[in-house]
Amino acid sequence: MANPLRLYLACIKNTLEAAMCLQNFPCQEVERHNKPEVELKTSPELLLNPVLICRNEAEKCLIESSINSLRISLKVKQADELENILTKKFLRFLSMRAEAFQVLRRKPVQGYDISFLITNYHCEEMQKQKLIDFIIQFMEDIEKEISELKISVNTRGRLVATEFLKQFM
Amino acid sequence: MQCSVLDTNIVYVSTSTLLETQGIVTSKEILSATYEVIKNIAVGVIDIVDPPRLGFQLTLKLHLDNIPRGKAAEAIKIITRISEIQAIILSSQLKEMLKRLNFQDDSQAMNNNNRPVRIVYHPSEPFYVFRQAEKITAVFPMNFKDNSDVVIAMSFFQELVEVGSQKEMGKAPQCSWSPVPPFQLRGEPVHDLTTNAGFVSFDITSRHVEGKRLDKTVWNLLNFYAYVKYHIKCTRGYIQRRMRKRMDSLVKRLNNTRFEEESPQKENGACKYVKELVKVQKGKLMMQQRCKDMTRRVKISKFRIRINGCARFRFNQRWISIPKFSSKSSK
Repeated sequence: MANPLRLYLACIKNTLEAAMCLQNFPCQEVERHNKPEVELKTSPELLLNPVLICRNEAEKCLIESSINSLRISLKVKQADELENILTKKFLRFLSMRAEAFQVLRRKPVQGYDISFLITNYHCEEMQKQKLIDFIIQFMEDIEKEISELKISVNTRGRLVATEFLKQFM
Repeated sequence: MQCSVLDTNIVYVSTSTLLETQGIVTSKEILSATYEVIKNIAVGVIDIVDPPRLGFQLTLKLHLDNIPRGKAAEAIKIITRISEIQAIILSSQLKEMLKRLNFQDDSQAMNNNNRPVRIVYHPSEPFYVFRQAEKITAVFPMNFKDNSDVVIAMSFFQELVEVGSQKEMGKAPQCSWSPVPPFQLRGEPVHDLTTNAGFVSFDITSRHVEGKRLDKTVWNLLNFYAYVKYHIKCTRGYIQRRMRKRMDSLVKRLNNTRFEEESPQKENGACKYVKELVKVQKGKLMMQQRCKDMTRRVKISKFRIRINGCARFRFNQRWISIPKFSSKSSK
């Protein structure tokens, strides 16, 4: 089961290494403005073709690149209702604290659970390879955290139920 | 609760805990033993008013000036016990009802006359108790405001049913969950039977209502809603703590991707020596800085004309020279 995950993450890593070639590019529409072109999408010549990498129907990653910015959107696996609410809560928690992450988008792209926006300024402040490693590690951590949370919630429920029923005995 | 401006030390508290069956009150009387328990909560503070106020089962007259003021712990204890009066009355009524149902024949139980009894401990959270063959069933309609609460509660109920079916828990009441109300609750108000988290049922046998176990059974039934809500609240708090911890670790990892601006602080002998040198130099530097500030302030005070925004032109004498005007005339 680890193999498909490894392949998926390797594919995303290779795509990011190719896509994260960003340079400073002032806005062509408005003077003295510098905007991430991947968000505006006003000039098609500045945009690269978006790449969609699907692990399965439920998990996918969309990488949209442009001359000065890169957007990565992730859809995380949600097997049941509990995983669904845990994923929603956790990713919303992170998105609301996007200023602590800097590269995180406050609102995910429609159809996805979480989005990153990386600009040329981030690439100047942070090492490109380490940034890519961070995103890959982030994806692994999210999956791990949600599984652990689910197991913890079920374990807590079991303990509480046992204590409640013991009171009758 | 009623109080008068004329006598602020007297407060009247009225309560009513009626057990109903399809809107008809089945139990209105409070047992004499319960009256004794209430009176003994705080002798001198509580008086039972007879007859009670209209529409209530019990009215109490509280003498607030008799509550010991010097001892805070005792006063709090008395006030806590007074606040539990409704629970005391309801639990005594429930105990009587469970005993009565336990001693009924199975043939009476199969009768249509033995309808479920509606018990309300928390406002808008009723539960039902009815007799079946060889057992008494307590049904709790579960409702939650938040969708995430519903999901956490459902996983809890699932665990409750699984744990209850284990061999080790054979002596505990059998627990079951259903998305629809049992057919015995037909005829009950629709708003009570409208739920978003299904119905939890406990099958109480004669073993659970005999002797000292009756108190525990009654207490557990009355506080089941509070128990579930507290578990949900603690689970949410736990999830929040874990999310915060994970977020902190992710932020730390992201900060490590930055380019290093200064040399890293290594803990070895060479760097310690450098640190010591830096400490000695620091004092001299501070003195120099202070001198510069002093001369700057003196210069500011000497300049008569001050133009806002031209501060940088005043002191940078390398690229602009200020001519010296002398009052002495040339001879």
